[in-house]
Amino acid sequence: MIGKSGVAALAALVLALSACGSGSEEAPADGPRVLRLWHYEAAESAMGKAWAEAIKKFEAAHPDVKVEFEEKSFEQIQKTASMVLNSDQAPDVMEYNKGNATAGLLSKQGLLADLTEEVTKRGWDKLLPGGLQTTARYDERGVMGSGNWYGIPNYGEFVMVYYNKDLFEKHGVEVPATFEEFTAALDTFVRAGVTPIGTAGAEYPAQQILYQLALSKADRAWVDAFQAYQGKVDFHGPEFTYAAQTFADWVAKGYVDEKSAGVKAEDMGVAFMNGKHPMMISGSWWYGRFASEIKDFEWGHFLFPGATMAPGSSGNIWVVPEKSANKDLAAEFIDITMSKEIQNLLGNSGGVPVAADPEAITDAKSKELIESFNTLTGRDGLAFYPDWPAPGYYDVLVAATQNLINGSKQPAGMLDEIAQPYEDNLADLGN
Amino acid sequence: MRGPGRWAVLVSLTVAALVMIFPFVLVALNAVKTPEEYASEGPLGLPGGLHLQGIVDFWVRVDFGQKLWNSLLISGSVAVLAVVLSVLNAYALGIGRVRGRLSILVLFLVANTLPQEALVYPLYYLAKEAGLYDSRLSMIIIFTVIQAAFGTYLLSAVLGQFPKEILEAAEIDGAGRFRALVRVVVPISRPTLSVLLIFFFIWTWNEFFLPLIFLISNDNQTVPVALGVLQGERYMDATMSSASALLGIVPAVAFFLIFQRTLTRGVTVGAVK
Amino acid sequence: MRVRKKGYWLYLVPSLVLFLVVIVVPFLMNLGVSFTRWSGVGTPRWAGLENYARLLEDERFWLSFQNNVALIFAMAVVPTVLGLLLAAALFDFIGKRFGPRTASALRAMYYLPQVLPVAVAGVVWGWMLHPSYGAINQAFGLDLDWLGDPDLALATVMAVMVWFQLGYPVVIFMAGLQRVDPAYYEAADLDGASWWRKVWHITIPQIRPEIFVVLLTCTIAALKVFGPIFVLTRGGPGNATLVPSYFSYLNFFQKSDVGYGSAIATVLALIIVVVTFLFLRIQERES
Repeated sequence: MIGKSGVAALAALVLALSACGSGSEEAPADGPRVLRLWHYEAAESAMGKAWAEAIKKFEAAHPDVKVEFEEKSFEQIQKTASMVLNSDQAPDVMEYNKGNATAGLLSKQGLLADLTEEVTKRGWDKLLPGGLQTTARYDERGVMGSGNWYGIPNYGEFVMVYYNKDLFEKHGVEVPATFEEFTAALDTFVRAGVTPIGTAGAEYPAQQILYQLALSKADRAWVDAFQAYQGKVDFHGPEFTYAAQTFADWVAKGYVDEKSAGVKAEDMGVAFMNGKHPMMISGSWWYGRFASEIKDFEWGHFLFPGATMAPGSSGNIWVVPEKSANKDLAAEFIDITMSKEIQNLLGNSGGVPVAADPEAITDAKSKELIESFNTLTGRDGLAFYPDWPAPGYYDVLVAATQNLINGSKQPAGMLDEIAQPYEDNLADLGN
Repeated sequence: MRGPGRWAVLVSLTVAALVMIFPFVLVALNAVKTPEEYASEGPLGLPGGLHLQGIVDFWVRVDFGQKLWNSLLISGSVAVLAVVLSVLNAYALGIGRVRGRLSILVLFLVANTLPQEALVYPLYYLAKEAGLYDSRLSMIIIFTVIQAAFGTYLLSAVLGQFPKEILEAAEIDGAGRFRALVRVVVPISRPTLSVLLIFFFIWTWNEFFLPLIFLISNDNQTVPVALGVLQGERYMDATMSSASALLGIVPAVAFFLIFQRTLTRGVTVGAVK
Repeated sequence: MRVRKKGYWLYLVPSLVLFLVVIVVPFLMNLGVSFTRWSGVGTPRWAGLENYARLLEDERFWLSFQNNVALIFAMAVVPTVLGLLLAAALFDFIGKRFGPRTASALRAMYYLPQVLPVAVAGVVWGWMLHPSYGAINQAFGLDLDWLGDPDLALATVMAVMVWFQLGYPVVIFMAGLQRVDPAYYEAADLDGASWWRKVWHITIPQIRPEIFVVLLTCTIAALKVFGPIFVLTRGGPGNATLVPSYFSYLNFFQKSDVGYGSAIATVLALIIVVVTFLFLRIQERES
């Protein structure tokens, strides 16, 4: 009763739509090979520039291969990685996040190709200092640190204290070399009515400060226990107790704004660039942006005083999906990104390369950054990030630090709050 | 209420309207700033001039034209198809008053009420089996069903009050059920149908989650998914997001403005008498 | 007349078929997954009622529903009432005294928030609600931490949701008002009825179907609300603005605990179905 013509029209519409349904064509069986490459770094960022150059080099070296590059969004890859890698849409090589919850999980599910052979063949392990290899290798439980190689990082990242040189000068503060000097500097600013440290409680920055404080009382064994489950972590032990107590003190003394519980990372960055706070404790991912956008004042950075370790790790890693049919080409591409030429370009564009030639870094600000990073790796100071040990731990830590900032929870209660999910996850492991 | 009274009402309503659109003003201000201005003045500062290079770069970088076309295709198809389905269903439920219509209505509404996360994994596996993973058709089918559920509900409620005299008159004139639908019911329901068209288009246009999951190839992606590129793990390009957000809503706003004229041109029930 | 009823079933067939494939089957699959432990890839492991038992004891789950009740008020009750008044004012009052163009222009401005993508709206509201340099604090000389203070956060989100939802009832009601026979109003005018009495005695009863629809759909939208929470507060500070849909999302995608996430989604869906059914019964009875 709907009408034959109506049905016919509907069927025609459906057919027409299915013709434009699938956007990606199957690659012809014979013909030029295609290397499908995905990443999610902005084009003007250091990685974006270096990798664009790497693509050019690859195409020059392999004229019979076409590189199909698609820029993705971080959010899409984060949410759909296991789904995409499990389908025919998987690319040949892609950037992916490092850590147990991301690369570890995918490797455990058999979605990533084992790169160990290529690593030994091409000597990539010789280019990566020890701390950086941790996030490239995962065992059968998906835990980082040992096992097969599943990813290769091109760059590193770490957390430091950015500071506003003009404001420091104005208030007569010198760059602190010890923690006592640091606290004294914070006091000076508070007395002058300035909130010294800008942070963001709604996202990652506040928890990274908490972690940094814990690290200043911790050793490598503690980090290995916390991150790679190589021992038991006491959430009421000296490291975490010191961290929670000190953080709460900082809020009480006004070193950190008590109203920063709802602030986002972007707002924190903008506040620093506006000159509202003399210091900001966050990572090297801000460096390039500061270098190009801060025009009103001089700025610099220093490593957190009084601690050998800092939050940091290798950057995101290149992984090769198990479903890729062009694993050899993928390895070639990765090799090019590890070459001196590309690494130097990355360094000179504001990034933190893993294997650049120190002489070749000419940009002054980049030189400072890379020197700090090398200092840190030199003393095995990369301690990864506090939200890595358990899936979903990020939200737990955000809520817990918000409670500390608001005073809704005392340090002891807050530590209980973050202990529970960690213990639960530990119990689940190996399942 | 004559005289100054009516102006008072107009002014207060206009002030309220301006409050409603104030956030848009902020977006527009930030859309034309340079990143340096944004960095030094903050999001509430005024722009120095018109900086449009960023948006041009973005357009080229993500092939925004393609994304606009994809969004248009999907939203437009869904709007039309969902209205058609809604009309068919509402006719049966509201005017035909089939048995068990309450349960059927609840059944349809479930489509609209299920949280999307619950559907993602099953739909992903089904779509893979059907070869529709990473296709715009999958989005059209899924959203047609979801939107039609709402349309069925609204339209059947409205048609439930459809005056019987008109239907009886049509029957007397010899019109079959289908004729009555097309010649009598649809024209009179035009304001409601226009509302549905507008809503469906705009709701589908702004959908982010399911397209993020299902539209993988850059060629297939829609505008909201493309905007996601500007939001990195730790970094958000605010001026570019503002500019592209404005670009992204222009079609939706245009659609609304075009169709809202038909909202007022509908034939009222009273006039038909 | 009896034979005619059967013919109407045919009109439902296309929807029922599609609905089966797109909604019913996935829902059943979701239900099945809720009885397992699964990370999204690989084989699920049978877990019986474990997820549901965990749900009953989960404080965060119950807290999220509590927050949701507040949001139902902000997203259903307030917009419906305000929307009704606005629609009546625009349609009757403004439309007659200043012309339909003015009314349309105002309506478009009220609807605009619904057009803006949630992600961008969230960022902009973040700018306006920032404790130090936000527009709201600066305009009124306040110093409140709108989104960071656990006592204020939920109320702030509620206010933003009113801004977001208001246009939807206004548009629906104004379309519905087209249906009202002008003769009713003319008769009332002859009797000397005030504007308010006309609204109460004529307008509201005439667009009753639209009112029911708006109330129910806004309630369902409130029960499902996710986007604005995600961009404004991520459920924080603490758990002050956590809602079931966001809690379910956390489990699906952050923790890859798909079994538990499915259980949450199933319970949420069942609650929505029950609410819907009850609401529709009342609506049926009224008409």
